[in-house]
Amino acid sequence: MILTFENLSSNMAAARRLKRVAISQPGFLTLNPKVTPTDLVSSRRKRVNKNKKKNWNKYSDVQDVEEFLEDLVNLKFCFLCEEAAEPVKGKKRKGKSSRPLRIDLILQHDSLVAPPKDVLAYQKPNAKKLRRTAERAEKLAANGVVPRSKKRLLNRTVVDRMSKKTETEANNNPERDFYDIWGQETKDLGEPWYLQQTRKKLVKRPEKLNEKPSVLPAVEVIAPGGSYNPDFFSHQELLREAHEVELKKKKVEDKLERQLAYNKADTATEETILREQVEGLVEESEEEEEKDAPKEDGEEVAVGAIAVADKKTERQRKREKAEKMKEQQRLTERRQTEQQQQLFQLRSIKTSIKQQEETTQIRQKRRKAKEEAQKAQPRRLGKLKFQPQDMEVQLSDELAGSLRQLKPEGSVLMDRFKSLQKRNLIEPRERAKFKRRLKVKYVEKRAFKEIS
Amino acid sequence: MGGLQKKKFERGSATNYITRNRARKKLQLSLPDFRRLCILKGIYPHEPKHKKKVNKGSTAPRTFYLLKDIRFLLHEPIVGKFREYKIFVRKLKKAYGKTEWSAVERLRENKPTYKLDHIIKERYPTFIDALRDIDDALCMCFLFSTFARTGKCHVQTIQLCRRLTVEWMNYVIASRSLRKVFLSIKGIYYQAEVMGQLITWVVPYQFSHDHPVDVDYRVMATFTELYTTLLGFVSFRLYSSLNLVYPPKVSWTKLSALSASLARVVSSADEEEAQLDQFPSEGEDMEKMEAREKELKQQEAQKKLFEGLKFYLNREVPRESLAFVIRCFGGQVSWDKSVCIGSTYDVTDETITHQIIDRPSVGKQYYIQPQWLYDCVNAKILLPVEDYFLGVTLPPHLSPFVEEKEGDYVPPEKLKMMALQRGEKPGNEQEEDEEEEEEEGEQEEEEEQEEDDNGDEEDDEEESLHVKVTPGKLKVENKARLEQEEKAEEKRLAIMMMKKKEKYLYDKIMFGKKRKVREANKLAAKRKAHDDSEKEKKKKARK
Repeated sequence: MILTFENLSSNMAAARRLKRVAISQPGFLTLNPKVTPTDLVSSRRKRVNKNKKKNWNKYSDVQDVEEFLEDLVNLKFCFLCEEAAEPVKGKKRKGKSSRPLRIDLILQHDSLVAPPKDVLAYQKPNAKKLRRTAERAEKLAANGVVPRSKKRLLNRTVVDRMSKKTETEANNNPERDFYDIWGQETKDLGEPWYLQQTRKKLVKRPEKLNEKPSVLPAVEVIAPGGSYNPDFFSHQELLREAHEVELKKKKVEDKLERQLAYNKADTATEETILREQVEGLVEESEEEEEKDAPKEDGEEVAVGAIAVADKKTERQRKREKAEKMKEQQRLTERRQTEQQQQLFQLRSIKTSIKQQEETTQIRQKRRKAKEEAQKAQPRRLGKLKFQPQDMEVQLSDELAGSLRQLKPEGSVLMDRFKSLQKRNLIEPRERAKFKRRLKVKYVEKRAFKEIS
Repeated sequence: MGGLQKKKFERGSATNYITRNRARKKLQLSLPDFRRLCILKGIYPHEPKHKKKVNKGSTAPRTFYLLKDIRFLLHEPIVGKFREYKIFVRKLKKAYGKTEWSAVERLRENKPTYKLDHIIKERYPTFIDALRDIDDALCMCFLFSTFARTGKCHVQTIQLCRRLTVEWMNYVIASRSLRKVFLSIKGIYYQAEVMGQLITWVVPYQFSHDHPVDVDYRVMATFTELYTTLLGFVSFRLYSSLNLVYPPKVSWTKLSALSASLARVVSSADEEEAQLDQFPSEGEDMEKMEAREKELKQQEAQKKLFEGLKFYLNREVPRESLAFVIRCFGGQVSWDKSVCIGSTYDVTDETITHQIIDRPSVGKQYYIQPQWLYDCVNAKILLPVEDYFLGVTLPPHLSPFVEEKEGDYVPPEKLKMMALQRGEKPGNEQEEDEEEEEEEGEQEEEEEQEEDDNGDEEDDEEESLHVKVTPGKLKVENKARLEQEEKAEEKRLAIMMMKKKEKYLYDKIMFGKKRKVREANKLAAKRKAHDDSEKEKKKKARK
């Protein structure tokens, strides 16, 4: 391996870095007790980039420049005020006493003639006009006439910035105003053609939307058995209905149970399993001869079916044709006689027609009744089916005798929500489940891993 | 082949419907915004008749809307407001994230809002249309006004609902339009008649606190938004129809205590209008007109049911409901000062006629349980107070919404009530002696006979037996009885002359009718047996 200079220097730099890190660790002990770690760590200045603005103030030493500037300032002030001249003079200037600066001498006037006045500097354009308007305004103000701009300023109303405009205009503001919305005549905004061209015409609401989506009433009163102090029979009626609902539920459950049930006696025992596996293997020798005989017959029959049919002869074809013709003739004759006989069967034909009509009418009525019943049912509007509420019933021992002891059953909020669904105003909704987009991964902390 | 082949699902019902997601994308709204828009505009999903056709062959359950409805939605100016609101939310979030509080304030001040007035005008072009839909609106408003004022739904909405419900109740009081009240286990059902429309609404009990989790509050809040606007406009119109100032200028405490008498716009000096002569309209007989007049008179009488009576409500009874009912029929009411503000007189007032209490303690004579008021309202007369004293087992609270047909079972309490309405005095309590039991039995028979309009002959004979005992009544009843007998004879002749087939049908019908009567008798017998057993128990307890 050739040790180049760069390699060597970089290796050395790395070693030095390592040494510095090691020394700076707390509790580092040196071999020589006199030498402390702080001595070893060469206080090497960190290399800083002085081109950055941030580092100008931090790392550059401007003390000497500042001293020089201060001195300059003192000198300048000394020149202007004579009191300070003395301490300046106290400072040793090499032989030369303080003389005024050359530039100051140049700037002084050297002639005794005063410089001419610049008239243009004092001239004001429109001075006369302005003066006259000011005088006029004064006169008018003395008479009490206020100029137009001032009048407008005074007429300006104060903008109320403190009142919250949005709150008063909100739809659910409790102090909102109502007016007669049906009493006002419709404002005629303009000619219909004009409105149409400027796209300001209001769209008419289609008639179909005014029909109610369901024939059910908005508020369905509970059955008389739902009173807080009900009559015996109406209460029993309500209980019976609730009972029927429960029975239906139980029926469905029972049906499910029955479908899933199996007879324990049907489970295969070891004996039957063995028998099944051994079937056909053990008893072969006894039944072989019996099986041979029926097998042969079967084969013959099978062979017969596969045999190719012989071609039809001319005679056979002629015979078939003649038969066909006869058959057709027979049928036509029969039809004719039937038609002739129908004349005598009019009465029975009439009765059969009547019966058919009756059946069709009955079916139509039934279908109409079914449709009407369907209208009252809630429609299937979305993914979920409509689930009717549980019946609000209080059992006989829960009935309160007085209004004070009444415990309300069911909530009006739920009732209204279900009523809206029943009347097809909204689709049946369920509470939204919390679904995670990404799976949660469970990781044990290192500390716990050590324990377990 | 030419290119003019008909492709499937390109015409007919498949093109009339659009799925919900497609509609949402067409409108460029998010799903909750789309739902809100549909609810506000009254556009509901439609179930097509042939789902397979519309769904392009699949039977997956999807929500369909009519395409024309969605096209109509595109012209709605509120859609723009929804989009503005979405942008407002986005900007607000950014400002919050950058902690620019001045920007947050500025944005909040200029929050976009919208009003629903034009939608109401469009959906309900006339006042009567709006009145027909007011059931739902009332139920929602009453429901929301009972919510707790936590942050779940806007507190402003709850306040607005409370204000509107109180105004509605004051209107019903001023117009005396309440007709029926029913206390159920769910809530209190009221029915009022306003401008010829029967309006039913439910009010939940004040002390029910369970809030079900399955209900979508956003949907309900949107409905409420629409309904509060509707109810406000309807209230304005109703108040102006009674010449009352809207919003009422009475203080809120008096208004919410339902003890205010609303100020009129034009004070009507002559409150007694001249009675107009009523002529029968075309096609009506004098009988029908008289019947109508009788009804009107009864209604007028019913409106002044509690007039002149002074009530005092104890602390444990439902104050608002009772105050509403009492004031609707002209009575005066007050309660304890610690319950609510607005009580007019104290317990110690000597002019109090009835005090409503629900406690089991035994006190003075005129303490009544609250069910008396509700039963009086339903019966349209003042019922005897004895059945409702403290500690007495209350008679059952029957539903006024049930209409019984001929021959159905009618509970004896209802019979008693009907008897009272007709002005007869019913039999006394069960705890009396056996003599009165006999009387009661006779009277029950009489009532059943009067109900039974089939005109059975056996009952006629029994009646005639009674008639013979008191000769004074003979003449009057004889004529009626003769007429009835004649009619019965004619009926029998007609039955004899029927053909076999018709007779068969007739028998079937009568069998069906009599079955109902038989069932009713069976139930009555059961009830009697039940009552007897209870009586025996009580007697044993006494001994």
